[in-house]
Parts: sequence; C-alpha cells; structure tokens
Amino acid sequence: MKELDLLKKDWKKNANSFAQISEVEIYNMIHRKSSSIVKWILIISILEISFWTFSNIFINTDDVLQKINHPEIVFALEFLTYFNYVVVLIFVWIFYKNYRTISTTVATKLLMSAILKTRKTVQYYVWYNLGMILITTILSIFAAFVYNPDMAFLKEKIAGNGKAMFVTVTILIVVILGFLGIFWCFYRLLYGTLLRRLYANYQELKKIDF
Amino acid sequence: MSENLEQSFVVQLQANQNIIHKICRLYTAGEDAHKDLFQEITIQLWKAYPKFRGDSKFSTWAYRVALNTAITLYRKTKRSVSTVEYENHQHFVKDVDYNYEEEEQIKLMYKAVYQLNDIEKALVFMYLEDKDYQEIAETLGISEVNARVKMNRIKGKLKKILNP
Repeated sequence: MKELDLLKKDWKKNANSFAQISEVEIYNMIHRKSSSIVKWILIISILEISFWTFSNIFINTDDVLQKINHPEIVFALEFLTYFNYVVVLIFVWIFYKNYRTISTTVATKLLMSAILKTRKTVQYYVWYNLGMILITTILSIFAAFVYNPDMAFLKEKIAGNGKAMFVTVTILIVVILGFLGIFWCFYRLLYGTLLRRLYANYQELKKIDF
Repeated sequence: MSENLEQSFVVQLQANQNIIHKICRLYTAGEDAHKDLFQEITIQLWKAYPKFRGDSKFSTWAYRVALNTAITLYRKTKRSVSTVEYENHQHFVKDVDYNYEEEEQIKLMYKAVYQLNDIEKALVFMYLEDKDYQEIAETLGISEVNARVKMNRIKGKLKKILNP
C-alpha cells in the first residue's frame, strides 16, 4: 500500500521531533500523590456541601421560623443560607481548579506553588466555615431567645434574677464554644491530615528541585 | 520504594521517551491529551517496573507495556478525536524537498489511522516501527497468521477510508 509506505517515511522522519520531557518531570509524574490528595479535598468539600443541603431538606425549620413570626430575622437567616451556598460553591470551584492545575502540571516550580495555593485555599475555607458557624449559632440563639414565644416564660424568669441571667449566658457561651470546638476538631482531622500529606509531598518536591 | 530503583527507572525512561511519544501521537489528538496519555503510560510503566527483570531491553519492555496501556487502560477514559483538533495539532516539518501533494496524502493517512480502533492502531504502530509479524503477534497475544490477516484487513479499511 503506497500511502502506508508514505506514512512510514513521514513517521520515521518525525520519530525524534517530540518535545522532550525532563527527568524531573518524569519524577513528578510518578509522584502524583499531590493530585490525589487534592482530589480528596475536592470530594470531601462536595460531600460536605451535599450533607448540609440534605440536612436542610430533612430538618424542617419552617415551623420554628413561622412561630418566630419576625420577617427580618427569617430573612436574615435565609439570606445567610443562600450567601453561604454561593461562597461554598465558589470554594468548590477553586478546589476543582486547584485539582486541575495540580494534576496537569509537570513543572516542579509550578506544582509547588499550586500546592501552597491549595493549602491557603483550604485554610481560608476552614476559617470561613468556622466563622459562618459562629454567626449562625449566635443569630439562632438570639432569635430563639428574643423572638420565640415559647421562650417568653423563661425570659421573664431570668430578667428579674441577675444570677440566673449570668448562668444562662455562661451556659450559652460554653455551648457555642463547644459547638465550634467540635467543628474545629472535625476540620482539623479531615483537612489537616490531607494538608499535612500535601505538605510532605511539597518537601519532597523541594528536594528534587535542584 | 527504593531510591535506586526510582533513579534507574527515571533515567531509562527519559532516554527512551520517544517510544511513548510515538504511541501518544497515534492515540491522541491535541497537546493536552498527548500529555495525559504520556503521564498515564509513565505511571503504568512505573507500577510494572519492579517486575522488569532486565532480560529484555528496557525499550522492548517499555513499548509493550506502553502499548498495552494505550489499548486497555486509556480506552476506558473519554477520548473523542475530532479531525479539526488533529489538524491544529500536527506540525509538519517543511524541508527542502517539500512536496505539497505528498504532504496532503500523509495528512489524510493520519486522519484515516485515527478512525481505526485501538487494536488496529496498535498494529499500525508496530508496522510503522518495522516490527515483524512474530513480534506483533506476541505483543498482542494473537497468532502470527491472525496478525497478518488483521494487517491486511486494516490496509483494506484504510483504502476504503481514503477512497470512499
């Protein structure tokens, strides 16, 4: 077949015309750990957002909100919910982009900077989430105490008694801190482990970046 | 994983990387797809490397593993080849005896090869690499007769694609 021979001629002519990959790049390819770690960060963040979405669907807060009967508080809570979704989705998008960069980058320097960037993003993400939890908890407690008619009885009792007021506030603060602490531990365990591995890989890359 | 093993693998692969590049050229269109497959093959080679005993040449071993990766593993992932992409991808070297007609024909041939399935591409690859039928048969795990028959069918198929 004439055409096949022609192809072979061209094939041979171009056999050595490829842009060559360096040893360091090959080394990076077989150390693809970073990309799988970043993939896990992405997956976990998506699972997290799905979990919250589902729990929002199943935990019916409408009744409580109706009882409160104060549109501005309801609005604030709803606004926070949607605002939170937008921000978290932006984070997921950034995680995805980080993942793409890390899995396709072969140059060590770029890979290292991508790893550092990912670590930063995750740290911001965790801080944002903790902040958000703090704000929603305070807002919810405030709403519950000030506006929920069920609480009116309790409120009256406390108002006249300085000691009871002090105890209640202390308990609330402890509850909030405990709540935050649980989430902080959760994030530390989840993302902290991944970030530590990512950092170990970063150190390894640093060694080979002669 | 021992450092020495890694070191020797990287050095040998670096020296023999054109084998992988050539396979990527036949199986992918576009620079990104080329890189992806290159990386995929590299990882598969690295995974298989501890089993490489050195009783054959590294290049012989590497091209077999690489080709099998291209046939089996890469097939599972997305890969649609559009001819438009392909034309952007190929850079034909224009030398002194630049022959427009020949060049056109080569382009058409590459396009035709792209339309073959992954096994057929493997056969074409080994044909282009001047492997004999015995080696082709061994690599693909088929009989020599079967390899010859397949190659003839491929030629027929290519002819049909070129002159529909």
